[in-house]
Amino acid sequence: MKKSVYKSAMSRVKTSEDFQEATYQKLRSEMEKTTQTNRINQKELLKMEKAKKRTLTGWTVGIAACAILSVGIFAMNQNTLNTTPEPSAVVTKPLVGKVAVNIDGAISEVSADGKSFKVGDLWVEVTDKTELGSKEPTASEPSEELLQKEFKVGNIVSGYTSQDASTGKVTADVIYNNMAPQKDNATNPPIVGKAAVNIEGEITEVSADGKSFKVGGLWVNVTSETELGIEGPTAAKPSEELLQKEFKVGNIVSGFTTEDVSTGKVNATRIYNNMAPQK
Amino acid sequence: MYNSYELNESVRRALDLYSQSMIKIAFAYLKNIADAEEVTQEVFLTYLQKRPIFENSEHEKAWLIRTTINKSKNMLKTGWFKSRNPVPEDLSYLPKEENEVLQAVLALDKKYRIPIHLYYYEGYSIQEIAGIMQSKSATVGTWLARGRLILKEKIGGLEDEEICL
Repeated sequence: MKKSVYKSAMSRVKTSEDFQEATYQKLRSEMEKTTQTNRINQKELLKMEKAKKRTLTGWTVGIAACAILSVGIFAMNQNTLNTTPEPSAVVTKPLVGKVAVNIDGAISEVSADGKSFKVGDLWVEVTDKTELGSKEPTASEPSEELLQKEFKVGNIVSGYTSQDASTGKVTADVIYNNMAPQKDNATNPPIVGKAAVNIEGEITEVSADGKSFKVGGLWVNVTSETELGIEGPTAAKPSEELLQKEFKVGNIVSGFTTEDVSTGKVNATRIYNNMAPQK
Repeated sequence: MYNSYELNESVRRALDLYSQSMIKIAFAYLKNIADAEEVTQEVFLTYLQKRPIFENSEHEKAWLIRTTINKSKNMLKTGWFKSRNPVPEDLSYLPKEENEVLQAVLALDKKYRIPIHLYYYEGYSIQEIAGIMQSKSATVGTWLARGRLILKEKIGGLEDEEICL
């Protein structure tokens, strides 16, 4: 093979006519892409650097803050541990306020002008500033009975004052009530009642007439007024077993009396049962 | 380092000067002009991306040839290249003698084909070929001798030629 033949043959091999131009265009487009990518990369790089800086700054500030806090806490703890608490030089002022004193009781004396009265050892003056009756929102209007206009000896008053009661004379802040005392027993008699005492137990002794019997240490007399059996709408009629007509020694009786048992002998008010003992 | 203007000029100049040589060496490797042109474009793209700095134009040409050979090898290794069944390049437009010689060289194994191409087409010495192919000069000489021997059997001649060391 001669050199010239191969070289000539290879030189004649056809290639694309626009190869150079096409390649150049392709390279240029690639270069633009690369440039854009580089710009983006640079931007990203800048962003990343900024973010890094921010992160670093954040960490620095955070660590500094932590350090300051730690030092502060340490210093405070040192002070707390090393110093003994000194007695406070500041004298706490006593709480100042008005103390209300109740006015409650019977009027024992009234002044000549009728605007002052004495309750216990305290003279109470009623002025224009004294409120009469309760001002509470749910309070009802005071009736004339409960809050009379005139203060009289024996009237029951209630209210309070915020003044010093130790002086012996105060002005009433509020008077809730000023009422006449309850009338005597003649007009309102006391409730009178009888005390009932149970009669219950075994008959130990029976009188000769059979109308009296002894239960415990008490003689019980059965009269015509003594009621027999249980009374009431739902009560059953007493059977002969439970309420025998004859009182015998050993029988179990129950009932009550309203008479004084201290005498040792009473009339039975009612006899419920009079039954023979269980065999 | 080039700026974009210098790079453009550099690439354009390299395209003008070396693109044909690069296409031909890639053709000698791949036996297909379209593939050879594709490989050459890739080489220029690499040139653009890596922006190598050369001592002189010969250095630049050697780098381009070396890169073309490497990229051609890579293309041969790709699956799609192996799996395809390309139509042989139509070289019927060449004179008969030239066609026969070219077909005979392309039929050689690639380890003989490339040194012969670089020797006979590019005019490189064995030492230069050894530098480009990163092989020993003796090895290159052996490849050339064996390639010539095969070609002699096929097309005759070459007895009167000597290998220039």
